[in-house]
Amino acid sequence: MKPSFLMRAVVISLLAGAAQAEELKFAPGVDARFHWDSYEALKATDLQGQRLTIDGTWAGVDKALFESVIAYFEAATGAEVEYYGGDGLEQRVLIDVEAGSPPGIAIIPQPGLAADLAKRGKLTPLPPTTADWLRENYAAGQSWVDLATFEGPDGTPALYGFFYKVEVKSLVWYVPENLEDAGYSVPDSMEGLKALSDQIIADGGTPWCIGLGSGEATGWPATDWVEDLMLRNNPPQDYDAWVANEMPFDDPKVIAAIEDFGSFARNDAYVAGGVEAVGATDFRDSVKGLFTSPPACYLHHQASFIPSFFSEGTVVGQDADFFYFPAYEGKALGNPVLGSGTLFVITEDSPAAKAFMRFLQSPIAHEIWMAQSGFLTPHKGVNPETYSDMTARKMGDVLLGADTFRFDGSDLMPGAIGAGAFWTGMVDYAAGKEAAAVAADIQRTWDSIK
Amino acid sequence: MEQVGATAVTVLIGVFGCTGYYFLSNRMLDRICRADVLRCNHIRPWLFMLPALVLMGLYLLYPVFVTLCLSFMDAEGDHFVGAANYLWLMQDAKFRESMLNNLMWLVVVPAASTVLGLIAAGVTDRIRWGNFAKAMIFMPMAISFIGAAVIWKLVYDYRPDGEEQIGLLNAVWTAMGGQAQVWLDSPILNSVLLMVVLIWIQTGFAMVILTAALRGISKDIVEAAVLDGASPVQVFLRIKIPQIGGTILVVWTVITVTVLKVFDIVLTMTNGQWGTQVLANLMFDWMFRGNDTGRASTVAIVIMLMVTPVMIWNIRNTLREVR
Repeated sequence: MKPSFLMRAVVISLLAGAAQAEELKFAPGVDARFHWDSYEALKATDLQGQRLTIDGTWAGVDKALFESVIAYFEAATGAEVEYYGGDGLEQRVLIDVEAGSPPGIAIIPQPGLAADLAKRGKLTPLPPTTADWLRENYAAGQSWVDLATFEGPDGTPALYGFFYKVEVKSLVWYVPENLEDAGYSVPDSMEGLKALSDQIIADGGTPWCIGLGSGEATGWPATDWVEDLMLRNNPPQDYDAWVANEMPFDDPKVIAAIEDFGSFARNDAYVAGGVEAVGATDFRDSVKGLFTSPPACYLHHQASFIPSFFSEGTVVGQDADFFYFPAYEGKALGNPVLGSGTLFVITEDSPAAKAFMRFLQSPIAHEIWMAQSGFLTPHKGVNPETYSDMTARKMGDVLLGADTFRFDGSDLMPGAIGAGAFWTGMVDYAAGKEAAAVAADIQRTWDSIK
Repeated sequence: MEQVGATAVTVLIGVFGCTGYYFLSNRMLDRICRADVLRCNHIRPWLFMLPALVLMGLYLLYPVFVTLCLSFMDAEGDHFVGAANYLWLMQDAKFRESMLNNLMWLVVVPAASTVLGLIAAGVTDRIRWGNFAKAMIFMPMAISFIGAAVIWKLVYDYRPDGEEQIGLLNAVWTAMGGQAQVWLDSPILNSVLLMVVLIWIQTGFAMVILTAALRGISKDIVEAAVLDGASPVQVFLRIKIPQIGGTILVVWTVITVTVLKVFDIVLTMTNGQWGTQVLANLMFDWMFRGNDTGRASTVAIVIMLMVTPVMIWNIRNTLREVR
């Protein structure tokens, strides 16, 4: 009895593995908006019987969406791709790589971490043709190449990563109905945004919902604020110098940017629940204040991915919308945009891994996700018609309308700063510590790891 | 399904493998030295201990040695940097905060758990629904630290004014007329609230061990004391507690070791923010956020140095008890 049961369990588990290849979301060749030619071209690559594992941070909805993209790669090449992902990627990928059992491809949100891995010789550089391809086909291609070019173990720089799926961070979310009812209009300058905030208070409302809580990563939403304000108070060269720590963290310019964030977050009248709610409120809960009745707040600064956390049935563009987090009119620094992206790197080289990286260059890999939800791409060769809604196109416009594009600074800083001291500093600042003291603390940690 | 299959196979291999090893190795030894049984009996214990010794060496001694080496190396573990990591540690504000917090945990948690466990053990033996109470108090032991932390995080949850408070503590607090509080962001109080979680878990452990010890006290002594006119409280404090002093110390030290390693609760509930950092979480931070094996190993060595004396003392104590 027992052995036969075991046998059955083994057989079932084997079958379950084989039956994983899922249905294709959009039948190839049917919808003319897609570049099916790039899918057909992929069939020339035969990877029958090859396996590829991919690790990343996407879980839940995003995981299902990414798997729907993978399905096309599997169907065309015959390779078997397993994606496992979720929270804690930063730790997991380090453990797996150091332990000698890395995934084939890792999807890393922080270029800083990828640079670390490259320096330790744990990544396989991409062929030089990929860099040329990026310059040619990605909007602001050179900047994407630069962001993914790291020094290898011997110190020679090479392109190690490929950005796929980007986020725009400089957005302010709001509920159009609430703004209309109160007779407010969307501001087009930072001065206007602050005036609007004051107007809301004068009318008895609360302008902002700000929440820094994020479990182990508590504090990161504040880093986005500070980065955005850094770009709005200083030229981009200063931002670059700050991120590289050529300008110290406790430089007056940085302190001024932190204090500018404080003018929002440390002002009891400005934030729903008062200042003490800022540090403790989870960012996923914070945004819900927009939707209460009467609204707990009118405005929320957050990246393009936040609709994933809206309650079900919320239609972006109708029930909720966003505008560009504006620049100071008086400072003449143009319209800077802060963004981020996920970086695909090869942690264990194989024909399947290389083929998958090439697959990411094909328009179809982008269009499948675009046609569903929550995907932005700088790929110029895709058909924008495939975007499932106007929202994504509008976000794409923000991206394209940027005079300056800068990558999320905390993701570029070393892990101990960008995912450590900076977070802690922001939590402390929100709790009442002085900006200068916080900045000096962060700089001290930075000095200690040099 | 795949995991279930793999787990089943692992369990089977583990169980049968172990039994098989002892059975077969014992048999082989018998075969080899049928003549000289006496000498075999000297070898036998070593034979039985071999798997444990090998595994301990591989998974305990070897890592300790490597950690010690790494603590004198740089972030990548490539270059020798002397005592630089230890010097850095001395000057790091977060390390000092962690040490202070760990000391605080060290004083509060074992004391509170042991005292509460002792009271529970003393009281539950005297009431009718004592067994039910015991089961309830023991229940948290069955919950993982992570699970407990998540539960208590919800208990301490705070929602901005105007929204409905879903946290139990805030519900109680507002029912008594207070303003809803952000419990986890004010230093000292937040550490205490985190300690409550561990106390909640460890009290059951203390209670079970101490109950057994209390039951081991000879009835004659207690009766003699009662005849001499001692009140129940006097009997408990003057007769019973001195009798189980050894066990109390063992419970105390076992909890102390647990406290020194506390990590999951802090990571899950505050991640060491708002001044709640502890050593184990600091180590994790430097290992996996700072990508710095040198500093992480240095913190690990500090934790080990703090745990070792307690462990040695504990083992000695246990050995004496056994004798």
